[in-house]
Amino acid sequence: MKFSVNWLREFVELPSGVDELAELLTLAGIEIEGIEKRGANFDNVVVAQINSSVQHPNADRLSVCQVDDGSGQPRQIVCGAKNYKVGDKVPLALPGAVLVNDLKIKPSKLRGVESQGMLCSPSELGLSEDGDGLLILSPEAQIGQPIGSLFPEDTVLDVEITPNRGDLLSHFGLAREIAALTGAATPSSRTVTRNDADQPARGRAGSIKISAPNECPFYSARRIENIKVGPSPDWLRAKLEAVGLRSINNIVDISNFVMLELGQPTHAFDADKLKGEIVVRRAREGEKFLALDGKTYTLTSRDLVIADQERVVGIGGVMGGEETGVTASTRNVLLEAAYFLPSSIRRTSRTLNLPSDASYRFERRVDPAMILPASQRATELIGELAAGNPAAEIATAGALPEPPPDVSLRYERCDELIGVPVPKERVVQILEGFGLKKARVTDDETSWRIPSFRSDLQREADLIEEVVRVFGIENVPVRYRSRFTPESEADRGHDLESELRARLAGRGLAEVRTSKLISRKAAEFEEGAIELRNPLNEDHVALRRSFYPSLLDVWVRNVLGGTHRVAIFEVGRVFIPPEGREERYLGILLWGNSGPSAHWRSKNRILDYFDLKGVIESVIPSASFRRVERPGLILAVEIWRGAERIGFAGQVASERTKPIDSTHPVLFAELNLASFAHLEGGLIFRGIEKFPAITRDIAMIVPENLSHEKIFTTIASANEPLLAKVELFDVFSGSEGNFGVGKKSLAYTLTYRDKTRTLTNDEIAVVHAKIRERLQRELGVELRE
Amino acid sequence: MSHELEQLRDAALSEIGGAGDEQTLEAARVRYLGRAGSISAWADRMKSLSKEEKPVVGKLLNEARTSVTAAIAEAADRLRAAKEARELADIDISLPGTAAELGSLHPLTQMLDRAISIFRRMGFALAEGPDVETEWHCFDALNTAPDHPARNEQDTFYLPDGRLLRTHTSTVQIRTMEKAPPPIRVIAPGAAYRRDEVDATHSAQFHQIEGLYVDEKVSIGDLKGTLEFFLHELFGAETQVRFRPHYFPFTEPSFEIDVKSKALKGGEKWLEMCGCGMVHPAVFEQVNSARGDTAYDPKKWSGFAFGLGMDRLAMILFGIPDLRYFAANDLRFLRQFA
Repeated sequence: MKFSVNWLREFVELPSGVDELAELLTLAGIEIEGIEKRGANFDNVVVAQINSSVQHPNADRLSVCQVDDGSGQPRQIVCGAKNYKVGDKVPLALPGAVLVNDLKIKPSKLRGVESQGMLCSPSELGLSEDGDGLLILSPEAQIGQPIGSLFPEDTVLDVEITPNRGDLLSHFGLAREIAALTGAATPSSRTVTRNDADQPARGRAGSIKISAPNECPFYSARRIENIKVGPSPDWLRAKLEAVGLRSINNIVDISNFVMLELGQPTHAFDADKLKGEIVVRRAREGEKFLALDGKTYTLTSRDLVIADQERVVGIGGVMGGEETGVTASTRNVLLEAAYFLPSSIRRTSRTLNLPSDASYRFERRVDPAMILPASQRATELIGELAAGNPAAEIATAGALPEPPPDVSLRYERCDELIGVPVPKERVVQILEGFGLKKARVTDDETSWRIPSFRSDLQREADLIEEVVRVFGIENVPVRYRSRFTPESEADRGHDLESELRARLAGRGLAEVRTSKLISRKAAEFEEGAIELRNPLNEDHVALRRSFYPSLLDVWVRNVLGGTHRVAIFEVGRVFIPPEGREERYLGILLWGNSGPSAHWRSKNRILDYFDLKGVIESVIPSASFRRVERPGLILAVEIWRGAERIGFAGQVASERTKPIDSTHPVLFAELNLASFAHLEGGLIFRGIEKFPAITRDIAMIVPENLSHEKIFTTIASANEPLLAKVELFDVFSGSEGNFGVGKKSLAYTLTYRDKTRTLTNDEIAVVHAKIRERLQRELGVELRE
Repeated sequence: MSHELEQLRDAALSEIGGAGDEQTLEAARVRYLGRAGSISAWADRMKSLSKEEKPVVGKLLNEARTSVTAAIAEAADRLRAAKEARELADIDISLPGTAAELGSLHPLTQMLDRAISIFRRMGFALAEGPDVETEWHCFDALNTAPDHPARNEQDTFYLPDGRLLRTHTSTVQIRTMEKAPPPIRVIAPGAAYRRDEVDATHSAQFHQIEGLYVDEKVSIGDLKGTLEFFLHELFGAETQVRFRPHYFPFTEPSFEIDVKSKALKGGEKWLEMCGCGMVHPAVFEQVNSARGDTAYDPKKWSGFAFGLGMDRLAMILFGIPDLRYFAANDLRFLRQFA
């Protein structure tokens, strides 16, 4: 909400500078979002009246005006604006005036005609952006009066009020808060209404009926007759415009003014258009209503309405109706001031998508004690500014909400929670400053009566917060306190993830983090993925159940960005349908060059299945792989760890990689990390071999379909105690060698070792021969020399 | 006049000393010390020498062998060193070094790791909770009124079954207290979701670290000490830290924290960093009712909680101008954090 500093000053003594005020409020939790200087305090700019206007003899677009500046001498001004009529009062800059942008005014000749000054637009006076025409002042403005008295210098604060502090949504309310923070004299609502004697008698309840007392516990209406609807006086317009409201007419402006001043919204109906008594009720299902904004709303039985005997005339606390609004021809008004249930207003305003200044305040709860004073204030102003003649009585129905219950404060608890002792007298002084009154007092504890405007103060902690706000959190000393904390399951999970990430980054992969919300398009490939009930757009419609669509998407965007290598992984949660069980997965995608795109020493390969497998083995050395069929993959394997299937890997079918049309394979793997307590490769010392090893190679020609795994297990099944290691070091397929199509050549290095002695060539020759013989016998391989 | 062997030795030493390459040196070795070499030949001649000559010539022969052998070894070292120097003299040391593809960790991961490591030094353990939450854990338990605007379908993503995507990691406060009695000292890094259109400073999914400390007589002084220490560790000891009263339904009193530091992007003004406050007694009461006991008696226990926006912290700390970089995963961006 925007606040005028001048307006605040009417109620409370302010700190000397605006910056001090802003600092005071900010540190008390009332955030200042903007500070704007306003006003038109210029020397030599006065109110003038245009007495005549004729066409400039030499310029189509200019006029020559004779104006009265109060000096007794008529003054001739050449003017380019068209929005005035003779008799209007406008600002006149006399020679010697210096306006916005350092515009210096002096007598001059415009196309041969003398001009002794300049008539001003709002923008030339820095009052608004509006530079289209002259600023037309109200008829009451005094000719010759300095313009600064109509538009005094002011500062406007844009203040963020938190939702619990509806009591600050008015100049009076913020002034009251400032007084509590600085210790200045507290303003009283009596300073705005004239005196108690003028308060009307309450009565004529028969003219209002409340049939929804929960949503509207209290309603008042005052009839004011013989009003003259017209423009507002300059002071009123200036006040509204300073805080960002547009002037409409005197009646609407008064209602807005009182709301900004006291925080209580009021509404003026054209009394002659109301049919019979006012009924406050719930809307009928499907009931239609034409609001002041010109739109028709369809209501439900959850919406509270103000109705007459024939139709809805207002959505309670939100907006009045077009048909019963005040117009230029309105003669009599009915002025509403009421209390509406915050939650009801909030619901209606939200469902109709119809926020208003009034609903904003009712949602945050208005001060019940301010309803009738606000009505009185508006009535008085209508009497003054629109010649209205108020009824002696104000019609009321229902009862004002109960005052907030008392709240107890234990002084010891206050000190404990703040962390530093605050003297009892200081606590009392602070709370009394906020308008609280002692209800019951013991040595350790005081029960406090809460003022009607502070229903947010419901508990001891709320009172302690008020103490801290004034005492100043900067006066609370910091304390360092620790406690030994055992490792949690989440700690272990985090550390596992960290180690996994470090290993994969060490293998040259880049970590990505994609959104857990996937697009409509991606969701089409993710059968069963849980969809949101209320997605905001097509990019975020479902919860990912796999990294597959997200990593493919990252791949596409990076290839389009010109990269030649994509080696990425992601670790994080996926959501398993149907109930959305959250599991930690690892996704890997490889594509393109094995190394940097161009380097004088690198021989670049294209990444393939074995690169992917190598990455997986670097994380899970014991992983085994089984070939399977899987939709979307042209080469698919399952990844097993012991007896548990933990994921899959493979080469993505080209139908899924169409956006890029790459000839290089796209490799993808996904693993469920749920069963991982820690990575393999324990932290246990295994000893360093002391005695030298002997190595022997075996090369063999085998059919293409004989797998490495089969050969490896055949060698291993010899259970030869001296055999320490078997390594495949060469693979040749038949088309590359000279041993015929349909065959391949494999070559292995076998390492022999004994922990306790140096082996001799002779004993190894025996063992090695046995293994060769075994391969020949069991697999029929053709051994090469 | 000197013995013939001495002359032979001197000739050998001079030839070896003058050898300019390994072939010449090898040829000299063969000529003098080879099986049929001229010095070796004296060993055969020894048999035919007289008793008187034998020891004299024997000594000379030994000396000659030793000095020539040493000279050959010395010359070999000299020649090898010269050869190596020649070979390396022509290397273009400006050629690029052998390249390796470095992997990288996402900047948000690095941000989280930094923050977590600071809190761990302060004695916080990690905690976690689900992204898909019940309305009770996300709102009711956190003292958020049934008609609070945050619950609205316009601000919060709902699932068809009525559950929702948590709008803050504060849900983990409740999850943690449901499971374990006080004292509690945890942080919970995690994702949260808001129904926001994506732009430079908003995203549907964002990342937070939630903190919760419940113990006897926990005070605002503890809250201040903890978060001031954290922010100084993260941004540097010269960083100014300011606490401002604020409003959150689940803490009372509540604060926002601002920092100011010339070393930070945009840090010449106060930057909002963190929401925090003392755990609202109503939150303890909700937890008690869910637990079915009075473990979190608000009269006995107090605590503080805080929520730090990791995306925003990373943007400030790494000078990243637009939130959308995080989810785009452009490798040209990610590699900057390798």
